[in-house]
Amino acid sequence: MFSRIAIPLFCSIALIGGCAKSDSGNSSIQLTLDWKPEPEFGGFYAARQDGAFSKRGLDVHIQSAGEGADTWQLVATGKTEFATSTADQVLIARGQNADVIAIFAVYQTFPQGIMVHRSRGFTSMKDVFTNDGVLLAEDNSWLHFLQKKFSPVRVKITGYSGGIAEFMAKKDYSQQCFVTSEPILARHQGGDPQTFLIADEGFNPYTTVVICKGELWRTHPDEVKSMAAACREGWQDYLDHPEPVNAIMHGMNPDMDMQTFTEAAEAQKPLIETDQTRSAGLGTMTLDRWKTLDGQLVNLGVIDGSVDAAQCFINPDGQNGK
Amino acid sequence: MVGESAAIVQRTSPGRHAPALFAIIREANMRVQNVHKVFDREVVAIENLTLEIQSGEFVAILGPSGCGKTTLLRIIAGLDRPSAGAVEMGEGKIAYVFQDAHLLPWRNVLRNVALPLELIGVSRIERLAAAMEALRQVGLSDAIRRYPAQLSGGMKMRVSLARALVTKPKFLLLDEPFAALDEITRQKLDEQLRELWLRHRMTVLFVTHSTAEATFLANRAVVLSSRPAKLVQDLTIDLPAKREGSLRSEPAFAAITRLIYGALERGGA
Amino acid sequence: MKTRGNIFRSLLPPVVVLILAVAAMEIAARMLNEPFLLPRPGAVALAMVDHRMDLAASLWTTTQATLIGFFASAVAGVAVAMILAAWPLARRAIYPYTVFFQTVPIVAIAPLLVIWCGPGIGAVALSSFIVSVFPVIANTMAGLLSTDPALEDLFRLYEASPWARLWKLKLPSAMPSIFTGLRIAAGLAVIGTVVGEFLVGLFGPGEGLGVRIISAKKTGHTEIVFAAVLLASLLGLAMFAAINLAAKLLLRRWHAPEQN
Repeated sequence: MFSRIAIPLFCSIALIGGCAKSDSGNSSIQLTLDWKPEPEFGGFYAARQDGAFSKRGLDVHIQSAGEGADTWQLVATGKTEFATSTADQVLIARGQNADVIAIFAVYQTFPQGIMVHRSRGFTSMKDVFTNDGVLLAEDNSWLHFLQKKFSPVRVKITGYSGGIAEFMAKKDYSQQCFVTSEPILARHQGGDPQTFLIADEGFNPYTTVVICKGELWRTHPDEVKSMAAACREGWQDYLDHPEPVNAIMHGMNPDMDMQTFTEAAEAQKPLIETDQTRSAGLGTMTLDRWKTLDGQLVNLGVIDGSVDAAQCFINPDGQNGK
Repeated sequence: MVGESAAIVQRTSPGRHAPALFAIIREANMRVQNVHKVFDREVVAIENLTLEIQSGEFVAILGPSGCGKTTLLRIIAGLDRPSAGAVEMGEGKIAYVFQDAHLLPWRNVLRNVALPLELIGVSRIERLAAAMEALRQVGLSDAIRRYPAQLSGGMKMRVSLARALVTKPKFLLLDEPFAALDEITRQKLDEQLRELWLRHRMTVLFVTHSTAEATFLANRAVVLSSRPAKLVQDLTIDLPAKREGSLRSEPAFAAITRLIYGALERGGA
Repeated sequence: MKTRGNIFRSLLPPVVVLILAVAAMEIAARMLNEPFLLPRPGAVALAMVDHRMDLAASLWTTTQATLIGFFASAVAGVAVAMILAAWPLARRAIYPYTVFFQTVPIVAIAPLLVIWCGPGIGAVALSSFIVSVFPVIANTMAGLLSTDPALEDLFRLYEASPWARLWKLKLPSAMPSIFTGLRIAAGLAVIGTVVGEFLVGLFGPGEGLGVRIISAKKTGHTEIVFAAVLLASLLGLAMFAAINLAAKLLLRRWHAPEQN
């Protein structure tokens, strides 16, 4: 009688327990990207392709996350060792007492923007928010920022679930976009997109940052440094010759055609390689920018209290965090 | 007696299937002429049956289970069509009482009984008055506001009977209406039915399994064979018109039930 | 007879289950210690109090869209079922496709909804309708087609018109089935509304519970997510209870064993 209850009970507990924490015993490392294979991840695939990972003894498996959990949650709960996220998400995570840190930043400039129909005659981001129409956007920190900056807002805002179908169908629709992606797509389909960069309005979080658990940095600093170095090498490779890796990514993501891959890879370069990276190295971050972002998020009510910016990141050479 | 046919008239059959031809006969008689019924191309339910029924007769129809009594009744009522042959009926409304009461559960007793008149198009005041009268005749005047769920089996069946009578039918067809009731209720309802018949003298066809019930109620018993149904025996029941419950214990009664029983046996019951 | 003892006996078990569930949640939350995955019940309660004005406004928005979608399902569902039940040819041709209403992923058609209705309550109510209409059609049709054959014979005997048959026999007879369909549709209508709000809900003051859920999820405020989900569930529960009450009042004379 007891065993009839106990055995299924123990099995359920074991199952739940097993799901909650994955064991990090083996040497294979998971890197979870927060979208499908596209030029914004080119450097990672290049690192795998050109041996940047393997020559440092890193057996890295790359996978794409679905829409379900935010990648910082996957890292915090041990589902994946590394993932890509954005700086504001890192601050949100730390605000929720999840110890994740950023170790490499791909985009120095926030690559998100808002795409409108050129025929509307807007001259600035402010026009988008203070005129009638519909804006399709995810409810992220940058949206809160812009809503506050251009309050009172007249445009109707609703959810964005990907693609450009609604935008193409209606002239008074605007949408969020990755400046290297959707506008190119819209142009190819015969549209008249005009893009306003969010970073120009003063909100500029590092984007496509590689994150991992703070604990991993404390216990295996060499592994983390190797990972950051490999990413830097891979990205340098990709920026110099994107074509081969584009072809590989296109094979995994046939929805995006090669022409778009090429244009996007070209368009994103100035967002990745800036004066900062030319002096300090690809992927480095500064304390000032993290502090600014922290202040902005507190101001917007996205995080409840200030987070120690210094704890949020380390640079690939191990400095400026701890 | 069958008078010469006046004119051939097509009676629109309720089911909208192509109707058999009906002749107008001078009195409210009924003739089943060479009726043949086949199901699914092979199963012969009724084989070339011919019956003549006079106006005002009370005919009991008996036969083994599944022999086709219900099918015959439905054909006469116009609910089914014969595969061959015809049914000729005099003028007058037909009423049908099923094996279970089949009342509308969302209507009270009074509105249930008024239903046939409502479907025919009688005004509200008239039909409710007629329903009250019919219910009085079956002794349910104080149940008019009740709902079927609150009634016993016997009461439901009486409501069903009242519903059948509300149109003052010339032909009353009943298909084992009291079979599901207990013995005492059944006998009481038999007596009540007999009284109603004596009062109104409609032509009654009463399908039953019970030889005693047939003997008590009817003045004629038609015994059918097992499938395919053919006529085995057609006897006249020679008992007084006014029948009391005590009749059931008389030797004449038993003699008739034995005759019917014998016919049933011969028919393959 | 509702004695004190009876009420106690019927209320006690669900209340005990509720207490156990809350206790289990508290224990699990403490063990897991990741508030962004599973908040403690206390945090959820606190969130509901702290944000009560906002959440109330969101609940009202979601309720409006749900009621519109649900009533549309009820009316259109019964109407379509009546048509399909009356015309066998239409039924054979069309009925198999009505199930698509249930299976189409709202995510796929969200762009169409937005383009037709514009974002906001129209599109959200439409999403609610699409998700909840099929059970009404299916159950109503089943009810209309399973009328007591003896009663159908009775109506035929007195040469009732098709309209009389529909209005006086088939429709009343189908009522229990219709209510079954409505019960199922109520819960689905809530789900359809919330999912619709995820995709095409309007942001801003008084935004629906679905929008609030996504918003709170993005900032890791899981206790608000739970609070919003709880409110949506209560909405579904309230609708379910209302339908049961309506069914009881309308069908109380029945409890007929021979139907259904």
